[in-house]
Amino acid sequence: MNGFFAPARRTALHRANPALKLTLFVGLFILTMLTHTIDASFYLACVFLLLLFAASGYPLWKTALLVSGFALAFASASLTMILFGKGSEIWWTFGPIAISKESFYRGLHLGFRSIAFGCQGLLFVLTTTSTGLFYALMQRFKLGPKYAYSFMASIRLLPMTVEELRVRRDALAVRGGGGFTPFGALLRLPERYALPLLAQSIRRAQRTAAAMEVKRFDARSRRTYYYSSPVTAADAAAWLLLAAAAAAAFWLAGTLPVFGLGDMRTGL
Amino acid sequence: MRWIAETKRPKPEEAAGSALSGPSVAEAVGEASEIRRIEATAAAESALHAGEEAKRLEVPAETGERRQPKLHVRTAEPAERTTHDAAAEVAGLRLKFPGVPDLLFRDLSLSIRQGEKVLLLGPSGCGKSTLLQVLGGVIPRVTEVPLKADRLKVPDSAGMVFQDPDTQFCMPYVDEELAFVLENLAVPREDMRARIEAALLEVGLHLPDIHMPIGSLSQGMKQRLALASVLLLEPDTLLLDEPSALLDPEGRRAIWAAVRRVSEQRTVIVVEHRIDEVLDWMDRVIVFRGDGSVLADGPAAEVFRLYRAELREYGIWYPGAWEDALAVGRGDAARPEAAGAPELPAGAAASAASCPASAAPHGTSENAAVSEKPHPANRASKQPPVARGAFSEPLLRLENFRVLRGGRAVCAVDRAAVMPGDLIALTGPNGAGKSSLLLGLMGLLPRQGECRFGTDDPAGRREERQAAAKHAAFVFQNPEFQFVTDRVLDEVAFTLRGEAAAAAQAGEDSGRRGAAARLLARWSPREKRRRARLAAQAEPEIARRAADCLARFGLGGYEDRHPYLLSLGQKRRLSVASSVVTNKPLLLLDEPTFGQDARNAFAMLRLCDELRAAGHAILMITHEPEIAELLATQVWQIEDGRLKSASPTGRSRSDGIRLREEATAR
Amino acid sequence: MGTKIAQAAGRRKGLTLTDVLVTVVLSLVLGVVYHVWAAVSDVAGLLFVQSNELVYGMWFAASTLAFLLIRKPGVALIAEIAAAHLEIAFGSAYGVQLLLYSVVQGLAAELVFAGFRYKNGSAWVAGLAGVAAAAASLLADIYYGYVAEYATWVIVLKYSLRAISSFVIAGYLMYGLAKLLERAGVAQSLRPVERKEYDALDR
Repeated sequence: MNGFFAPARRTALHRANPALKLTLFVGLFILTMLTHTIDASFYLACVFLLLLFAASGYPLWKTALLVSGFALAFASASLTMILFGKGSEIWWTFGPIAISKESFYRGLHLGFRSIAFGCQGLLFVLTTTSTGLFYALMQRFKLGPKYAYSFMASIRLLPMTVEELRVRRDALAVRGGGGFTPFGALLRLPERYALPLLAQSIRRAQRTAAAMEVKRFDARSRRTYYYSSPVTAADAAAWLLLAAAAAAAFWLAGTLPVFGLGDMRTGL
Repeated sequence: MRWIAETKRPKPEEAAGSALSGPSVAEAVGEASEIRRIEATAAAESALHAGEEAKRLEVPAETGERRQPKLHVRTAEPAERTTHDAAAEVAGLRLKFPGVPDLLFRDLSLSIRQGEKVLLLGPSGCGKSTLLQVLGGVIPRVTEVPLKADRLKVPDSAGMVFQDPDTQFCMPYVDEELAFVLENLAVPREDMRARIEAALLEVGLHLPDIHMPIGSLSQGMKQRLALASVLLLEPDTLLLDEPSALLDPEGRRAIWAAVRRVSEQRTVIVVEHRIDEVLDWMDRVIVFRGDGSVLADGPAAEVFRLYRAELREYGIWYPGAWEDALAVGRGDAARPEAAGAPELPAGAAASAASCPASAAPHGTSENAAVSEKPHPANRASKQPPVARGAFSEPLLRLENFRVLRGGRAVCAVDRAAVMPGDLIALTGPNGAGKSSLLLGLMGLLPRQGECRFGTDDPAGRREERQAAAKHAAFVFQNPEFQFVTDRVLDEVAFTLRGEAAAAAQAGEDSGRRGAAARLLARWSPREKRRRARLAAQAEPEIARRAADCLARFGLGGYEDRHPYLLSLGQKRRLSVASSVVTNKPLLLLDEPTFGQDARNAFAMLRLCDELRAAGHAILMITHEPEIAELLATQVWQIEDGRLKSASPTGRSRSDGIRLREEATAR
Repeated sequence: MGTKIAQAAGRRKGLTLTDVLVTVVLSLVLGVVYHVWAAVSDVAGLLFVQSNELVYGMWFAASTLAFLLIRKPGVALIAEIAAAHLEIAFGSAYGVQLLLYSVVQGLAAELVFAGFRYKNGSAWVAGLAGVAAAAASLLADIYYGYVAEYATWVIVLKYSLRAISSFVIAGYLMYGLAKLLERAGVAQSLRPVERKEYDALDR
């Protein structure tokens, strides 16, 4: 977006065709989804975390900042399972909480997987621009220009919405409580924010769409593209890189197992 | 009483770039009728923030007024003339917005020749923007609006520039946006770059790199970019819908210079409220009445000579509008049309006339005490303005004051003071820190240094904010963001209820020691009941005060409407009304006249001036040079995050109202 | 006089650019509002086990609101995808799966609206669409998060809370919001113009 989301250097992943890269990452997602052993998910998380730092092209601190969000994802994926999952070998109980061996490892496995998902997703986002992705989707996958340009235009409109959110917050502070109790005001919060922001944005969207059509945008007519979307050697490199990463993870899980447990769905 | 304005006013030639022709002083119109007629014609057409809906709801109000039957439609050319050389033509156009009972156009006929430069004028809501969209093929192709016509010819290729610089682009970068147009035309990729660069050159945009974020351009540059993008369509007709309404004077000049440069061989149809920059190259001016019919159609000079009064009434920023607005009590107040405008309840006008001082703070130190009690003391409406002698203490004093954003000082003020009766124009380039200063004063941004409201010298973020809220009202640029209810009357009542609750709270808390005891007491059932009872008691008084306030701001009769359905000018006035109803001595405004037609802008300025004359102080961000030159008592110049100068303009704080006064007219 | 031109059939049948852009922008705004809402969610999460599910319905709000405003096929799905797209574009930790979740959830909501032939815009139907989206998220959760391995009472608690929340937030709350927008005069211009408006031209 603005400043922050600009890579410091470009890697093969940046140069790869975004549409093909998307299919690669969806493939990775499915592969990770079908991973049911904790060792494999552990190594997938590790390998893609490393790859994220190495190939995203962002300075270390920025990547670390973004990665810090994974802690929450890890917790939310694993905690419920650890505390409330089914299992026969009970380690500890407290009220409704029952931590069993199965639920514990299953929880960890889910946590690792969510980190792997997170790394893969972030790697894609950090190496792809919206404009590039939608141009590629239009040219490679015949995505309707109507949709592609709507998404691109909306990204342009987003900072205005964020700014308006700030203005609204200030304005509400200036207007004061109006005699409502704090709780009453809290209940009205979504409405108070949503109405002006939505009203503004809807009108803005209508005007933008009108301006686009006046510039003779027609979803049905033939169009050319300012950015081409070629398939290059970088695509092969990206494919190899991701395949190698995934293969490395599974190979490590086989040769250097940390947990040594079986399929997470069917007992251990 | 009369205020002689000549002594204070700079001469027209030094006053403003707008004073092109030195027009004879037009008749002063009484303020009462001024405000009423604003109601009659103000409408939301300035499609800026107001939705189409508001426009439609406004229109019926004005259809009744035809005060000067002697002026007939002067159609320059008969509608049945030959059509082969027409660039655009409508005959028998009927158009209606859904959900509105009346037609916007009823059998309108109009023809525009190839190469003609036409200016469409009319009051807000008369449908001129809609007509432009019909002529440009936007309606009904893009926007569905029911219409039918005997004949409708739109240009073969038209390019249209709209009012709002922020909603004309779909791509984040300059080159991508221009390429979007070329893509639509299926121009080969290799040819794009050269054509993009040529288009930018044509409108005078010299960018270091064409791959530049659009967000980093000024609003004026964005409008020129919009023009460049329509030029890529190679249009034979250019349609311009108030392209300069949201620009500062510099941006206005630049966009019109660019339009003029590219319009040589083209038909140009312009809708604009500010006509200084277009007047001298328009071949033809068409003036619409409020009901969408044509009042006048002819060469510019002739139309301006014959229809000056209508132009003023319609809120056009014609050259000399400022002079006319400032012609305070120049004698000829008994203008016939001042007695007209029967559409509004008489009460609104009467109270507008009788109580310019009703919001007077009663000296700064006792102000808080006054505003806590919603009773007769606040029925100031019949009181004369407070004696000037009482205003010796500054309302606001700043010393070594700094406003911070992200830990960095974004606006610094070494020393400045705001006195009662001040109207301060806060000027300076965009991004210099003007808005930050206001936000800092309100305690909405962190700050350092001394900021003393009256005698209060708050310490701590929370206290700062409370002190600011007690002494100052803040009006944001976009009024919609300030609205919190769904009814006009409730907007004002909301402020009053908040004040009543705060007063009850303060009274209760002062009797108790310790935060815990206070908190406990606040939540006790007994206390809750007591407060509910108090609130219920205060309610009739609140409703009465709110209604009074609305009447004073020319919003009488709109109590039950949704605030979003008001016209832009009305929204602005409502946001000011809801801010000043509790008699705060200091009023901070962020570009209150921005994007408004002349009528609404002057109504807003007159309200500010009324408050100032009554002893309030106004601090307004503005890009209008005339406000600084003709109205302000001080001009604060902000540059590069610093108050460069705070210079008095020589106008006295104790002056009466400088804009047209209705007292003489009654 | 020439022939009469009645411009009645100017409107294209399917989704126009305006429809799509409004839908996408709407979802983005809800996404931004969601960040304000996230604070509420965090507080709600402290109440009791799984209580954060009480505000989960906000995730399905975009699709119901878009439908309630625009009333055309497809907008519910587009709205869900757009909301996910926003999260992904800003480096959410939940990357690609959000996209797949959004497709499943959006389709479920879309199916409900289609079941009423896109004619019924009541709060009840919107709520039903929200519940359908919640059910779709359960399906996705079973594959993605092994929720079938939760203790049974947790599954029941979690997903009934989610369904209730979806019904209330995506249904009634969004219905209320759509009504607010209608009263503020914003919603009318989004809907197709009725025949009688054209007939009124001849009066």
